[in-house]
Amino acid sequence: MSEATIEVTGLRKRFGPVLALDGMSFMVTPGQVTGFIGPNGAGKSTTMRVILGLDAAEAGSALIGGRRYQSLRHPLTEVGSLLDAAALQPSRTARNHLLWLARSQGLGRRRVDEVIGQAGLEQAAGRKAGGFSLGMRQRLGIAAALLGEPRVLMLDEPFNGMDPEGIVWMRGFLRSLAAQGRAVLVSSHLMSELQGTAEHLIIVGRGQVIADTSTPALLAAASGDRVSLRTTATASATAVLTEAGGSVTSAGLAALSVTGLDAEKIVTLLSGQGVPFSEISAHRASLEEAYLELTRDAVEYRAADAAEEARR
Amino acid sequence: MSAHVITESRPGQRNGRDGFRQLLSAEWTKLATVRGWVIGIVLAPFLIVGIALLNHSTCGGITTPGGPATTAAGCPAPPSGPGGEAVSDSFYFVRQPLGGDGSITVRMTSLTAGPGPAGLSPWSKAGIIITASTRPGSAYAAMMVTGGHGVRMQYDYTGDIAGPARGASPASPRWLRLTRSGDTITGATSADGVRWTTVGTTRLAGLPATVQAGMFATAPASSQTRAQTVSGASSAGAAALAAASFDHVSLAGPRPAGAWAGDAVGGASPDAGFRQAGGTITVTGTGDIGPYVPGASGSPGSTIGSTLLGAVLALIAAAVVATMFMTSEYRRGLIRLTFAASPDRGRVLAAKVVVVGAVTFIAGLAGAIVAVQLGERLLRSNGNFILPASTLSNLRVVAGTAALLAVASVLAVALGSILRRSAGAVTVVVALITLPYLLALTALRGGAADWLLRLTPAAAFAIQQTTPQYPQVSAAYTVSNGYFPLAPWAGFAVLCGYTAVALALAVFLIRRRDA
Amino acid sequence: MTRAGKATAARPLAGEPRAGGLASLRAALSAEWTKLTTLPGTGWLLLALVVATAGLSVLADAATSCSSGSCQADPARVSLTGIYLGQAIVVSFAVAAMTSEYSTGMIRVTFAAMPRRTAVLAAKAAVVTGPVVAAGAVAVLGSVLAGRLILPGHGFTAARGYLPLDLADEPVLRAAAGSVLYLALVGLLSLGVAALVRDTALAAGLVLGLLYIVPIVAAVLGSSQLARHLQQLAPMTAGLAIQATTSLRSQPISPWAGIGVLAAWAAAALATGGIRVRRRDA
Repeated sequence: MSEATIEVTGLRKRFGPVLALDGMSFMVTPGQVTGFIGPNGAGKSTTMRVILGLDAAEAGSALIGGRRYQSLRHPLTEVGSLLDAAALQPSRTARNHLLWLARSQGLGRRRVDEVIGQAGLEQAAGRKAGGFSLGMRQRLGIAAALLGEPRVLMLDEPFNGMDPEGIVWMRGFLRSLAAQGRAVLVSSHLMSELQGTAEHLIIVGRGQVIADTSTPALLAAASGDRVSLRTTATASATAVLTEAGGSVTSAGLAALSVTGLDAEKIVTLLSGQGVPFSEISAHRASLEEAYLELTRDAVEYRAADAAEEARR
Repeated sequence: MSAHVITESRPGQRNGRDGFRQLLSAEWTKLATVRGWVIGIVLAPFLIVGIALLNHSTCGGITTPGGPATTAAGCPAPPSGPGGEAVSDSFYFVRQPLGGDGSITVRMTSLTAGPGPAGLSPWSKAGIIITASTRPGSAYAAMMVTGGHGVRMQYDYTGDIAGPARGASPASPRWLRLTRSGDTITGATSADGVRWTTVGTTRLAGLPATVQAGMFATAPASSQTRAQTVSGASSAGAAALAAASFDHVSLAGPRPAGAWAGDAVGGASPDAGFRQAGGTITVTGTGDIGPYVPGASGSPGSTIGSTLLGAVLALIAAAVVATMFMTSEYRRGLIRLTFAASPDRGRVLAAKVVVVGAVTFIAGLAGAIVAVQLGERLLRSNGNFILPASTLSNLRVVAGTAALLAVASVLAVALGSILRRSAGAVTVVVALITLPYLLALTALRGGAADWLLRLTPAAAFAIQQTTPQYPQVSAAYTVSNGYFPLAPWAGFAVLCGYTAVALALAVFLIRRRDA
Repeated sequence: MTRAGKATAARPLAGEPRAGGLASLRAALSAEWTKLTTLPGTGWLLLALVVATAGLSVLADAATSCSSGSCQADPARVSLTGIYLGQAIVVSFAVAAMTSEYSTGMIRVTFAAMPRRTAVLAAKAAVVTGPVVAAGAVAVLGSVLAGRLILPGHGFTAARGYLPLDLADEPVLRAAAGSVLYLALVGLLSLGVAALVRDTALAAGLVLGLLYIVPIVAAVLGSSQLARHLQQLAPMTAGLAIQATTSLRSQPISPWAGIGVLAAWAAAALATGGIRVRRRDA
C-alpha cells in the first residue's frame, strides 16, 4: 500500500441522539481526485475530522499510509486539509497565519511565500484575514493545506462561495495535484462541481457509503442513456423497438422515450422497418441524476418538493 | 394551480412603540433560549443566598485574622431611643426627681480621665442632664463639657449642638444650665455664672411630669484602643473613665431639692461612682450616650447589609451573562442578522439593555429578599442582633442591591458593545466595581480607600449601608464595618454615571461602525 | 482502535510519543510564539499590565501615611499593591490566548497541524508565561522604585526604623520576585480554566471571581475559623502572602506556602484543562 492512501474502516460516531457515522468504510488512492459526495448531514465533514484526529470515533479506524494521524511527526507534510475556511483570527494577516502554521511543522518563510504564489494571494497576503472575501478565504485555506507539500489532500467543500472563475481554477488545480501522484479527497454536496474533476466517487448517505466506484462506471450503471424520439407512428415504433429489447415510454403526444438501446441501433431498426421519425437525440445521464437516484432514500433534510406536488 | 399574489400593503403599519415592543420580545427570546445564560441568571440569587448562609459570626466575633475564636454566648441588643434607633445609653447619674418646670445649674471645675490606663478620650462627656427616666433609651437633653470638643448640648441621642469650644478646669470653670418648661428644655452656658449664652432648645415630646435631673459623667472607649484589642471580648476591662467635679449645684423646681442619688445607668462599672464632699460632687463614669454605632469601641451588631455580601459574587455572574449576551452577536457575524431585522441600532442596544437589566433586577431582588430573611434568622440564632432600621431603609438596601446588579449588567452590555471582546468587558466590569471594594477592605486604608469608593463604580455598594456616620461618635467608619464615604444614593449615582457614559459611547460607536 | 485482519501490515508508528516529543514541542513553541507575536493586541495588553500595576502602586504609596507611633502598614506590600489590578490584565491575556482559538474555530487547524494536544497546551503555557514574567518584572521593578522614592516622605522614615525599599534586602527581594511569580501563576491558572470551559467570558468570570471574591467574603465573614481557612486556601490571599515583609506571624499563611497553594491551583486547572483538551473533540 502506498504511503499516500487513506483507509477508513467501520467508523461509528454518535453526536447525542444523532448517529453521524454508521460503519463508514472506504479507501482513497493516490493519482486521482476522489469525490466524497453526499447530502447534507451524510457524515462527510465528520469523517474528515475523524481522519484528522480531531473527533474521536467510537469504533473503527482511519489510517493514512497505514498510520494514525496522531502518530505522524509533521502531519501537515503528509496530510494537508481544509475543513473550515473561516477558522481564522480576524486581526492576523494572511501571511502570518500561514507563518505560524509553517513553523509548527519546522518550515520557514520561504515556503510561506511559495504557497502564497501558488494560491494567487500575493496581493492580499499582507491584509488582515478578517477582511477577506469568501473566495479569498478559500484560497488561503488551500494555501495552508499545501504548506507542507503533502501527499494527501483533504478538502471539505472547497468550492463553496467560489465564483465561476475560481471554480474553474480550482478544478484545474485539483487535477494537477492528483496528476503529481497525490491522493486528493474532495467533499461536496453538489455533483455539478465535481463533474469532470473527480475520477473516482464515494457517495455517502446517513453515515454509510452508498457507492464507491469510478465516475464512468457510475454513469454507465445509472438508469440514464435515454433516447428521445419524435414520431407520428408511435404504435409501430413502440412495437419495433420493444421487440428489439428496448423499453419504450411515451413522452408526450408524438414523442417516445427509449432506454436500453443506443441511438444508432434505433435509427437502424426504425429505418429497416420503414417507421418514420423526425427527431432522435441521445440523452446521457448526468452525474447529477445518477447521484440523485442513488441518494433519494438517504436524504436527511428534504424541503417540500413543490413541483412534485403540482405534478400529482 | 393558482399563483399567490403578493399583497401590496400590509395592514396596520407598525408605529414606533409597537416596533420597540417587538424588539424587546426578540431580545427576550434571544436571552431565554440559551440554556447557559438562563442558568447564569438563575445562579445569581442562589449565590447571594448561599453567601448569606455562610455567615457564622457569633456576637463579638469580628476578629482580626489570626485572632482567637470568641466564645461569646450572644449579645443583648442595645436599647432603642425615642426615634427607634439603637442607642448607647450608659453613664453614671447623680440625680434627683424634678416634679415639673424648673432648672438645674452647676459649675463644672474639672474634667479628667479617671484612674486607669486609658487617657481622656475626646468624646468623654460630663455635665448635667434631664431625662425622662433612668431606663436606658429614655428621652433626654444634656449640657456637657467634652474631652476634646468643647461645650455641647445633646438630646435624644442623635441631636448635637456645639457650644463654645472651651473646657472646664479649676482655673476656668464652666457653668452649665438646663431649664425645663413643659416639654421644652433649654441649655445655656456661661463662663462666670452671670452672663449666660443659650446654646440650644429642644422639645422632648411626651416628657412625663416628673423627670430625673442631675449630673453625669461618661467616657467611651476610644477606637484606637479598640483597634489594638485583638480578642473580641468586650473592652470593659480597658474602658475609659471620665471624672468631673461640680460645685454651686442648684436644682430649682416645684419642690425643694432633696438628696442626690447615684445610679449607674446602663450597667455598673467598678470604678464608676460619685463622691459628695461639702458642696462639691465628683462623678466618675464610663460608657456613652449617643447613637449606637457598630464597630465603635468594640460594639458588635449586624446590619441588613451584612446578609447581602454575596451580591458581589452575583454581580460577577450577571456581568458574565450580560457580556456574553452582547458579544455573542459578533460571533460569526450574527449582528448583521440582528441589524437586518431591526435597522435602528440604537433601539436594538436599548432593547438589550432593558431585557438584561430587568431580568437581572428580578433575579437580584429575589435573591436579596430570601437572603435577608434567611440571613437575619441565622444571625439571630448565633446570638447576633440586627440593628433596627426604618422600613424605608431596609427597602432601599434590598431594592438597591437588585438595582446594583442590574446597572452593573447594563454596564457590561455597554462595554461588550464597545470592546466587542468578552475578556475585556468582563475584566473591566469586575475590575471597576469589585476591585476597589476589595482594596478598601484589605489593602488600602484611609484616604486612598475613601477616594476609590468615591470615584469608581464601587461607590454603589454604599446603597447597602443602613447605619449613618455620626460625627459625635468616634468609631472605625471603615468599609469592613459597613460604612461608605458617600451617601447611599450618591454612591449609586456614581455607578449610574459610569454606565450612562458607557452606554452613550456604545450607541455612538454601534451606529458608526460597520456591523 | 483495532484493525481486524487487514492484509497490509501497519507501519511501525513513526514518532513514538517520547522520541518525537521534544521536536514536536519545539515546533509547537515556535508556532505558538508566532501566533502571539503576530497579534496586534498583545503588545498593548502587556503595556497596560505595566502601566496599571505601577500606576496603582504609586496611588497606594501616595495615599499611605503613618499615624503617630508605628506605621501599621508593610512598606513592601503597599508598594506592590498594583498587582491587584495587574492580575486582572494577566487573566484577560491568558484566557484570550486559549479561548480565541475556540471562538474562531481555529482550534481545529491548530490540532490538525499539531495533533499532540498536550504539547500544544504546554507550548501555550510557556508562550503566555514568558511575556507575563517579562512585563511583570518591569511592572514590579517600577513599583518598588516608586515605593523607594515615595514612601519615605509618607512616614516610613528611618526614625521609625524603615529603610528605603532596597532589592538587596532579602524580604523585599522575596516580595518583588514573588509578585512576578504570582502573576505567572495567575496566568497559568487562567489558561487552565480557559482550556476547561472554552468560552472567554465564562473563563474570565470564573477566574476573576475566584481571585477577587474570596477575600471579600472572607474579610467580612464573621467566624475567624472559616475566614482564616478561606484565606489559606484561596488563590489570591494565599499567593499574595509572598508580599509580606513585616508581621509575618499574623499572616494567614507563610509566604512560600502561600505561593505553593497558588501553584497547586494553577496545576490543578492546567491538569483538568489538559484532560478536557485531550479527550474531547476539538
